Amino acid sequence: MEDRENYNPNTVRLWRAYKTAKEMCMDRGYNILEDDTTLTLDQFKDKFCDENGEVQRNRLNFSAEPSEDMMRKHALPPTKHNPDPAPSCGRIWVEFNSEDNVGLKHLREYMGHLMQDNFYVGILITPKPVTGMGLRLLRSLSSTDAGPPGGIEVFVEQDLLVNITKHELVPKHVLLSREEKAQLLERYRLRETQLPRIQVTDPVAKYLGLKRGQVVKIIRKSETAGRYASYRWAI
Amino acid sequence: MSHDVVEIDPEEEVSTNAPVARPVNKRNLDTALKHARMLEIRKRIEREILDSVEILISFPSSTDADPKRPSAHDAAQFCKLVKDFQPSDFQELIEERNISGQCGYALCPRPKSKAPSTAKKQCVWTDNGPEIVDRKMLEIWCSKDCTRRALYVQAQLNQTPAWLRQGGIDDEIELMVDKAEERPQIVLPLRPKEVAPQPAKQEAPANDADDIAAAWLARDDALAALAMERGEKPGPLSRDDEDNEHLVTNTIKERVGNSEPPVAPSLARDAQSHLAIEGHVPRSDRKAAKDGDGDSENSEGEESDWDLDLS
Repeated sequence: MEDRENYNPNTVRLWRAYKTAKEMCMDRGYNILEDDTTLTLDQFKDKFCDENGEVQRNRLNFSAEPSEDMMRKHALPPTKHNPDPAPSCGRIWVEFNSEDNVGLKHLREYMGHLMQDNFYVGILITPKPVTGMGLRLLRSLSSTDAGPPGGIEVFVEQDLLVNITKHELVPKHVLLSREEKAQLLERYRLRETQLPRIQVTDPVAKYLGLKRGQVVKIIRKSETAGRYASYRWAI
Repeated sequence: MSHDVVEIDPEEEVSTNAPVARPVNKRNLDTALKHARMLEIRKRIEREILDSVEILISFPSSTDADPKRPSAHDAAQFCKLVKDFQPSDFQELIEERNISGQCGYALCPRPKSKAPSTAKKQCVWTDNGPEIVDRKMLEIWCSKDCTRRALYVQAQLNQTPAWLRQGGIDDEIELMVDKAEERPQIVLPLRPKEVAPQPAKQEAPANDADDIAAAWLARDDALAALAMERGEKPGPLSRDDEDNEHLVTNTIKERVGNSEPPVAPSLARDAQSHLAIEGHVPRSDRKAAKDGDGDSENSEGEESDWDLDLS
């Protein structure tokens, strides 16, 4: 690591949040350039800072396309009416908000933008937590059809300073596709309600953008067995 | 509740995939439905509050509206929307309005005031001397008057969330009327208590019978009010009684003390009263009965004053 004393702390924070956001999208299966996740602070500064050394947050926004793998993972089973359904994933838009307080108004604007440009999911990264009413709006979005089909996720910059999945105590979480989930339930003769659960508000679940009903495989290291897999049903 | 229902295995009950068309314990079904309805109502109301806040962010309808004299339509709508709020919801409405740069009072079209400087903490002079407050606190309202008006409304809001409010409590929101600016301090709305029936001593004894009748009437009124507060009929229904779903089928009766005055105990009443120990008369024939039984001391049906509980 270089000498960070010379940099504005705000720049360093944003650099780290940006890298984590990119890594997060990559771990979810979007097409992200490898270079973006290994960006050095100098490169970041050259790319996104104006002449005063201030980071221009609107330059940080990016969109990403899902990769082939991800499309396969999110494929829906074909039905009679729809023999070739579109996978339940799509383009993502990641926006770094510069407002101090994000309220209903901003969320509505953001939703409008997502809908207009046909994004499937949106991630909003804010410097401060969203207001209470904003959280309520986000909660109500999941139960109604308003907003983009994949929903909106909001992260606070603070939470993205460190990529939590890189920590040694955090085991690897792998999302299972519908098919894999069916196989799992078949193999162990389970109903999905009989699986252990994970909350969708769990930090790793939020990182992976889990939706209710999805199943993750958690692979831990084990002294006796080498590797040990367990499964969690997101709720 | 029928008695010939099949008891459900608790394991099966947990599963959500189980087929529905099975003989189900009616009581369990009722309970589940009741709770599901309550949740549904709660969700609906939360959604309504969210919608209300979104409407109120872009209030009032015209830019030259006067917060002192809001148009009748605006005022009526404001009162209607705000009625289901809790004070915390109202605070959030103020916060949302501030984010969009408006004065916190929803009937005021002016922008919020600017603090004298951009420092994070600022010193202001109040009645209690200088005070250091956040800059945010200074940038909520456009004027003192709006503060007063908004807090006047907030003070009237019900603390209980709207989905728990019982029927029968008539909470109309009242706006601060125009003359308020002459009043020096905030006057909270008065909720007059119901006048308790007077002991009626100062009246002449001539209309004694009338007084007694009035007192009985007042008592009936009070009982009716109590019943209404419990959500019983008659009276406006509480929210979750919309489908007359009652899990508790027992009717509650107000316990009214019987009208006979208590009588002081007298010695002459009972011949054995001299044997009583704090009101209890020990039976004198027990020993004799025991002796008659002989030595069967642990016979089953035997009564004794004491009991050694070995189990």
